[in-house]
Amino acid sequence: MLTAVDDAAERLGLSPGLALAQARTMHPGIEALEENAEADAALLKSIADWCLRYTPLVACDTPDGLLLDITGCAHLYGGEDALVADLSGRLERAGLAYRIAIAGTIGTAWAAAHFGKPGSYACGSERQLLSPLPLAALRLDGGTVAALARVGLKHIGDIADLPRAPLTARFGGDLLRQFDRALGSEHEPLNPRLPVAPYVAEQRFPEPIAREEDVLATVARLASRLKIALERRGDGARRIELTLFRTDGALRRIAAGTSRPLRAAEDIRVLFVERLAALADALDPGFGFDMARLSVLVAESAPSEQIGIGGAEDQTELDRLTDRLSARLGVRRVRKLIAPDSHHPELAAAAVPAQVTVADPGWEALRRYRAEAELSPRPLRLLARPEPIEAVAEVPDGPPLRFRWRRALHEVVASDGPERIEGAWWSEHGGPARDYFRVEDKSGLRFWLFRAGLYRDLAQDTAAPSWFLHGMFA
Amino acid sequence: MLAQLRQTLRGLERPSGIDSDPGTVTLGVPAIDGVLGGGLARGALHEIAAAGEAHLAAATGFALILSARAARKSTIWIAEDMALAESGAPYGPGLDAFGLAPERLLTLATARSRDLLWAMEEALRCRAVSVVIGELRHGDIDMVAVRRLSLAAVESGALAFLLRASPPDDASTAATRWIVGATPDECLTAQLTRNRRGPLGAWTLQWSDDDERFVLAASAQPVAAPAADRPHRKIA
Repeated sequence: MLTAVDDAAERLGLSPGLALAQARTMHPGIEALEENAEADAALLKSIADWCLRYTPLVACDTPDGLLLDITGCAHLYGGEDALVADLSGRLERAGLAYRIAIAGTIGTAWAAAHFGKPGSYACGSERQLLSPLPLAALRLDGGTVAALARVGLKHIGDIADLPRAPLTARFGGDLLRQFDRALGSEHEPLNPRLPVAPYVAEQRFPEPIAREEDVLATVARLASRLKIALERRGDGARRIELTLFRTDGALRRIAAGTSRPLRAAEDIRVLFVERLAALADALDPGFGFDMARLSVLVAESAPSEQIGIGGAEDQTELDRLTDRLSARLGVRRVRKLIAPDSHHPELAAAAVPAQVTVADPGWEALRRYRAEAELSPRPLRLLARPEPIEAVAEVPDGPPLRFRWRRALHEVVASDGPERIEGAWWSEHGGPARDYFRVEDKSGLRFWLFRAGLYRDLAQDTAAPSWFLHGMFA
Repeated sequence: MLAQLRQTLRGLERPSGIDSDPGTVTLGVPAIDGVLGGGLARGALHEIAAAGEAHLAAATGFALILSARAARKSTIWIAEDMALAESGAPYGPGLDAFGLAPERLLTLATARSRDLLWAMEEALRCRAVSVVIGELRHGDIDMVAVRRLSLAAVESGALAFLLRASPPDDASTAATRWIVGATPDECLTAQLTRNRRGPLGAWTLQWSDDDERFVLAASAQPVAAPAADRPHRKIA
């Protein structure tokens, strides 16, 4: 069955809904392509991205439509007509057929584009525009439209002046809600695809730019504009995104995070120097970027910059270093150590991205605990996952006498332990209790080993408890 | 007035590398500090190699103790992914015992040695950093890179350590090169195989928990006699 036809096919009398076999009988020479909903959705998304240059409020109206809220944006393009001309030009160059309608409400614009005449409709003319259109133009479901048709109600004008309560009772609340929304008596918000940034600055280039230096200079300029807005509200940026719009419509998005709320334009520019350096492929400007937008995606309250006194200045410098390293290498590769409250060795220390704000790293508490509890020493280096080893030990709970690790045999000459650490019994994969031993081998190498499981806990037929190497001491 | 003039002149002199003394980090062991000319030079690059892969933890411990004694500000530890996967990552609770506060430590994992060297240089140039440890898993790093890092260390006065998993074959341009290994009875051997300021040596050290510093183990056997003052050996 045909789902869509192009202009030429339309002229031949083919339309969606026709069976393919029938169409082929009528016109043997037609070319039929298989429907690919995924590709269509992807195409729609990429067109939605193009439209971000006009406004950040873009929503996909699947399967084949887009909604843009251009309130207050049109003047940046020299008026609504110029905006429509720009968009139409791009769509045409991409070989797409389109219908564009501008109106004061989503409902009216949708109705005009789908069932009416494309064009621009002033606020206040909704009723006039909608009356002759079929009820399906109100985006009602098929059942409701059919029910309305059965009682002779076919056009929007037919229900416009009918008493409301009986309509709702008979056909459901949807009908009048859609009607009210189309007229503007009820507000219908647009749900944008991407969250709207609290602070945005953008610039268009009559002469498209392509060089990295120019992009960075633009970042600095836009950041200065953002600084004014941020300062006014006492905010700083924690996450910033640069969107570069190519002349052919494609987008490039580059984001950077920070350790503390930033306002200074130079600090922000430096972040993007590193981000651009870190890009695996070049910026790929095509024929150039004709627009750049800098948005603060996440803002946080930031007290005004204080003239540093020693410690505070050092922390600022360290934050700058962290931000540069994170921007270049990746946020997860730059870490700081915290001590979560856990006796389980793997969980007793964690490495979190250094940019993440942590109220209390937990080391003081750990030191106090270790002092009080007189815990045995901990290794200097811990393997991410304990490695299984073959060990020979005295049964039932003696230390290992020798063990093989990574193909090397180690003879144990001294050992300390056991230190029993219960498994994380609350978690499925917590595992059995572990008896940890500090052992030193003949060469003087020192390891932290454990035996998982206790002999007495094992049923008769299960295997012997296993030994693991978890860490190394200096 | 002459004294004042001398002082002004000294202030005007640019630091000329290892000669001038931006400060040293003492090990707390007089025998070694003497050989080093007071201690490990700040504003310089030092290499610490493990005697063998299994001895990397011992070498790490040695590096960390030096870092803890040097660290007035933050320490940055940079390692390649492979190094962390094979030899384990720094473990907070274990670091504390060496006097290195985990709060003042930032760790980095890099995918390539190129990134590691870049990050080391960036960190050295940050004035809030006093020690940078770079853990290189494989391969030799070329002379040019070492020179760059040395220069960055000189300019900032920070201490740079290159931690290697096995003793390198090539000649070194670092200020000092050590080969560290574990020995029985909870001791370490530290062999000084390159020293711009004086003679070489080897010592067996024991970590003293109470004093939180190294002490010479009773059975120490230095390879060379401790240095007498030999100013003509300094590089002009």
